[in-house]
Amino acid sequence: MSEVEDTIKRLNLHKGVIGTIVVNTEGIPIRTTMDNSTTVQYCGSLHRLLMLARHTIRDIDPQNELTFLRVRSRKHEIMIAPDKEYFLVVIQTSSE
Amino acid sequence: DSQELKQFIHKIGPLMIQELVRNSRSHAFEGYDVNWGEDTNTVTDIHTLCHAEFAESVIVTNLSWNSTGAVVAASYGRFDHEDWCMHKSGLCTWNLDRRNLDADKPDSVIDVSSCLMCIAYHPQKPAWIAGGTFNGEVIVWDTSQTEETLVASSGIGDDSHRDPVAKLTWIPDPESKGKKFHIVSVSSDGRILTWKVHASKQKLKLINGFVLLTDSLPRHLRVRSRGNQEMGVTCISFSKEDETKFMIGSDCGGIFQCSTSVRGNPANESNCSVELRSPVTMTFNPHSGPVYGIECSPFHHQMMLTSASDASVRLYSLLRAQPLITIDPGAGYVYAAKWSPVRPLLFAVVTEGGHLYFYDLQQMNAVPILKLEVAKRPIYSLQFNAKERSLLATGDGAGKIRVWRLNEELVKPGAKEMDSLTSLASSALQ
Repeated sequence: MSEVEDTIKRLNLHKGVIGTIVVNTEGIPIRTTMDNSTTVQYCGSLHRLLMLARHTIRDIDPQNELTFLRVRSRKHEIMIAPDKEYFLVVIQTSSE
Repeated sequence: DSQELKQFIHKIGPLMIQELVRNSRSHAFEGYDVNWGEDTNTVTDIHTLCHAEFAESVIVTNLSWNSTGAVVAASYGRFDHEDWCMHKSGLCTWNLDRRNLDADKPDSVIDVSSCLMCIAYHPQKPAWIAGGTFNGEVIVWDTSQTEETLVASSGIGDDSHRDPVAKLTWIPDPESKGKKFHIVSVSSDGRILTWKVHASKQKLKLINGFVLLTDSLPRHLRVRSRGNQEMGVTCISFSKEDETKFMIGSDCGGIFQCSTSVRGNPANESNCSVELRSPVTMTFNPHSGPVYGIECSPFHHQMMLTSASDASVRLYSLLRAQPLITIDPGAGYVYAAKWSPVRPLLFAVVTEGGHLYFYDLQQMNAVPILKLEVAKRPIYSLQFNAKERSLLATGDGAGKIRVWRLNEELVKPGAKEMDSLTSLASSALQ
């Protein structure tokens, strides 16, 4: 098993994790552990959100850079780790 | 896999795992909840309903929401008769879903020849409502009819109550599998009577009866000289779990657990067509004045709430004679205490001083979580709406019915509320 598959598998084994997605900078999913339609929905929306967050941080301070984005909701916590070429999304159920 | 992807995963993977581990240990969001709704901190008064013709001389004695939750009914009467009842009184209903709702003009008004003391909507038929009068008559009306609203009546005779009907409630007919309902009425004559509706004959037929006798009282409260007398029953509540079990409060302050399957001591003398016996199985520590409200918890079969003229509200376990909690709102007689139909630990009370209080048993310090000054007059009745869960109605001594919209906090059950109630109930065994 490649390192990529292995890491994704390990992430998915964590408590409460319901999905892991690797997305490229165009917003196209490269790897996913979720079903097709859910993946597409997450990718499109999160891509826009990530870009907005990135710009927001840069606009406030051009020397600064977004390193991590967490979005907490009633049901889930979405964690996004961005990088130059890709970003990694992990969706976890909100702990009680 | 491309080299770039490998590099990315190699770099980001451990970071993400670190965050997941940190998340699992974090308590940062415990008990945190965002409220996006508007106006969520206040309880708002959305309607003030009144029928002026009745409100001149009589008060709101009781309230009931119908089975759809859209209609509120009020009974008008008085509690302070010294003589014959000559009051102009009756039943009024308002449909709150009507677009042209007129707060001063009820959708239906039914005149009753004597004061109407209590009412209860049928659990399933939205237009059927039962009422009990000052004369002791139990009547069922159908408010959807325009000509003949009477469905059935107990009349006044050997089988009926001989004193004002204090409270009534519908109970499922055990033989009908939840399709049919009987009426149980209680009165200050000490009788607890079960009625079957014969709509074709317009009659309520007495099918079962009990009587509360003074020998059920704790020894120190009994009056020695008078033998085994009947004692007035002021309120009744059936167990939500066991159909044969019910609780009653009496006008001497006594609180009793009863069973329909118990046949205790018989009544002294009665001309009733059914044999009247004492149903009491357990006596709780009494209030020191007439009990006005009694209600079994809709969430736990061992919990019961009572309120009385001794200005206190008590929480009892059905397993213990002493109350678990006694709360004194400090505003005079507590005319009604009701459990929330949605939040296991919440209840509301209304007082002689015109206040509406909400208590949350999670806060054991006996301080209300919300206190509203509703009227300058006493509030006699209070009713949560089991269908439209954010609505609550109060009825006061000025003949006004207020409908309140409750805030999120009072309507949304907390995650561990049921557990807290269960542990409160089990504290009775220690």
